[in-house]
Amino acid sequence: MGDKKKGFQLSETQLGYLMVLPALILIAAITLWPVAQSFWNSMFDYRLNDPTRNQTTLSYQIDLETYANNYFYIDRDLEAIENEAAGTELEETVAQLRQEIETYHDQLVTLPEIEEQYEIVDEMVMNFEPVNDRDLRYGSLEKDFAEGYISLLEDGQDELLDAIGDHDEEMESALSAGAASLTSLDRSLIRPNFIGLQNYGKYLTDARMWSAMWNTVFFTVVSVFFELTIGLAVALIINRAFIGRGAVRAAVLIPWAIPTAVSAMMWNYLYDGQSGVVAHYFEQLGIISDASVLLSTGSGAMFSIILADVWKTMPYMALLLLAGLQTIPESLYEAAEVDGANRIQRFINVTLPMLKSAILVALLFRTLDAFRVFDLIYVLTGGGPANSTESISVYAYQVLFAQSNFGEGSVLSVIVFLAVALISIIFIKLIGSDLFEGKTGK
Amino acid sequence: MRKRAGVSFYIFLSLFIFVIMFPFLWVFLTSIKPPIEIFAGFNWFTTNPTLQSYISAIDTRPLFLYMWNSIAVSSLTTVIAISVASLAAYAVTRLPIKFKGTILGIVLAAAMFPQIAIISPIFNLIQSLGLRNSYMGLVIPYITISLPLAIWILATFFKKIPFELEESAKLDGATPFQTFRKIIFPLAAPGVFTTAILVFIAAWNEYLFALTINSDDNWRTVPVGLSMYQSQYTIPWGDITAATVLVTIPIVVVVLLFQRRIVAGLTSGSVKE
Repeated sequence: MGDKKKGFQLSETQLGYLMVLPALILIAAITLWPVAQSFWNSMFDYRLNDPTRNQTTLSYQIDLETYANNYFYIDRDLEAIENEAAGTELEETVAQLRQEIETYHDQLVTLPEIEEQYEIVDEMVMNFEPVNDRDLRYGSLEKDFAEGYISLLEDGQDELLDAIGDHDEEMESALSAGAASLTSLDRSLIRPNFIGLQNYGKYLTDARMWSAMWNTVFFTVVSVFFELTIGLAVALIINRAFIGRGAVRAAVLIPWAIPTAVSAMMWNYLYDGQSGVVAHYFEQLGIISDASVLLSTGSGAMFSIILADVWKTMPYMALLLLAGLQTIPESLYEAAEVDGANRIQRFINVTLPMLKSAILVALLFRTLDAFRVFDLIYVLTGGGPANSTESISVYAYQVLFAQSNFGEGSVLSVIVFLAVALISIIFIKLIGSDLFEGKTGK
Repeated sequence: MRKRAGVSFYIFLSLFIFVIMFPFLWVFLTSIKPPIEIFAGFNWFTTNPTLQSYISAIDTRPLFLYMWNSIAVSSLTTVIAISVASLAAYAVTRLPIKFKGTILGIVLAAAMFPQIAIISPIFNLIQSLGLRNSYMGLVIPYITISLPLAIWILATFFKKIPFELEESAKLDGATPFQTFRKIIFPLAAPGVFTTAILVFIAAWNEYLFALTINSDDNWRTVPVGLSMYQSQYTIPWGDITAATVLVTIPIVVVVLLFQRRIVAGLTSGSVKE
C-alpha cells in the first residue's frame, strides 16, 4: 500500500473496493469454491483408495504406467495359449485377438497427444521407476477409441474364460493367465466416473443417514431449547447489582473457552461406568439404574451428550442474554408498573419484545453450531453405542475419511450444507434486517 | 429492573458457580490423586497428593509440543485474519462503496458454512500443495472460520468510532488510507485486540481440520492430541485429567486477564447499543 508515496492517489471508493478485495478473494477461494467442489464430487464414484477411481473425470483416461506395465505381458500370455492350442479353432481366435490388440496399441502409441508421454513412461517402467507425476502418468482418450478398445478387451476376456471349461489343466492355466492380463490392461483404461445423482439416491434411502439426521435434529432441538430457557432464567436472576460479578463472568466464560474436544474428554471421565463421579452420583440419586448406562445405552449416551453441551454453552447463552437485558431502559419497567402490570406481564410485554432480536441472533448461531456438531460426539461416544448418537457430520466424516469414499461422503456433506442453509434462511427471515443494523455505516 | 441482591441470591449464585465449575474441580482433584486411588472410590480429597499423573502425562505424549503447535497455528491464523479483516471491515463500515449489504451477507454466509461441507476439497487442496503436517496446512483452512468472525466483530467496533474524525482528517489533507492507518485503526485498537482474542480462541479450539490434516503426532494440536490419550483397552484417567489441567491453565489465564474484552466482543454482534 505504498501508493501514496509515489504520488498516486486512490479515491475513497477505489480504496474501499481494494480493501474488501483480499477478504472476498480468500472467502471465495477457501469457502465458496470448496463447497462447489463438494457438490461436484458428490456426483462421481470417487474413492481415494481405488486407483481407477481416485479422481473425478468426465472423459476416458488412460493410466499409462499401468498400461505399459501390463501390455508387456499380453503378447507373451496370448502366444502361450496359441502354442498350447496349436491347430485348433481357438488358436485362430486368439491370434486374431492378439492382432486386434496390437492394432489398437499401435494406434494408441502414435496418437499425437499420447506418443511422447508414452515413450517417457514406458522407459521409466522398463527401469522400474515409479511414475509419480500425475500429468505424465494419465492421458485422455477419445470416447470412440477408448470404448472400442475396452469392448475388445472385455470380449477377449469372455472368450478366453468361456474356453476354459473344455480343456486340460495346462491349457486352463494358460487361458486364465491370458484373461488376467487382459483384465489388468483393461483396468488401466479409466472410465468416466460421473454417475449423476446415483449417490444421492443411495443416501436418501439409507437408514443410517436418516437415523443420523434424526439424532442431529433431536440433539439440536433439545440442547438449544435447554440452553435458551436455562440461560434466560439465569440471566434474569443475575441481572442485578451484586458483589463478585468478575468471578461469575470468569466462571461462565471458562467452559465456553476450552476446546470442545477437551470438555468431551472431561465428561467422558465423569460419565465413566466405573470411575465416573457423575455416573456414580446419578446412580446414588436414583436418576439412572446403573452407573454404566450413561455411555453404554443409546438413550443414556444421547442424554450425556446433551448434558455436556448444555453445560458448555448455557453459561455463554446467559451471558449474551444478560447483555441484552442490560440495554432495556429502566423507564419501560417503571411505566409498565404504573400501568399496573405484574411481574409476569412485565416479562411478557416488556422483556421478551425488547430481547427478541438478541434471542433470535443467539438462537441462530447456536442452532447452526449444534447442527454441525462433530467433536463433542466424535470424542465422547464416537457415535456409539451402535450409531445411536451418530450425527450427520460424524457419519460424513466416517464415509469421507474412514472409508476414503469422497464421492458418497460428499453427498452427506452436501446434505449438511443444505440443511444449514435452510435453517439460516428461516432464521434470517425471522430476524429481518436487524442482523445488519449498526454494521453498514452511514 | 435493578433488584437488590439478598442472601438467597448469593446462595443461588454460589450453587450456579459450583455446578459450572464442578467438572474442572473434580478433574483437578483426580489429577493429584495417586493412580491407585482413582479407581478405588469417590473420595473428594486424597490424603497423599502427588504429581505422578502429571509426569506420566508428559512422558507418554508430547503434550508441550501440542501446545506449541496450537500456539503457532492460532497466532498465525490470528495475524492473517485480523490484517485482512480489518481492511474489509473498515471499507464496509466507513468508506462509500456499493454492495455493502451483499458483502456482509457473503461474510455471514461464510461464517455459517458447516466445516464438514468443505473438508474434502480442502483436504485435496492441502494434499496437493504438500502442506499436510505443517502449520500452514491448518492456517489456510482456519481462515474460513476466523475471517468471517473477525470481519463481523470488527465491523461493530469500527462503526462506533465518531465519523467527525474522518471529516477533520480529510480537512487536514490526509489520504483515505492515512486516515485509516493513523487515526481509525489506533482508535479501534481495543476492539481489534478483542477480536484477536476471539479469533485466537476459535483457532485454538478447532478439531475437525486438525484431526484430518495434521495426522502426524508431531504436528497435532492440543484438542486432537488430548483426545488421543484414550487407547483401545485401558483408559489412563490420571494422565487424561493431568493433561486436561495443563492445557486448561493457559485458557483460564487468558479468560481471567481479558474477561471484560471477551464479553464485549461476544455481545457486540448480538446486542444493539
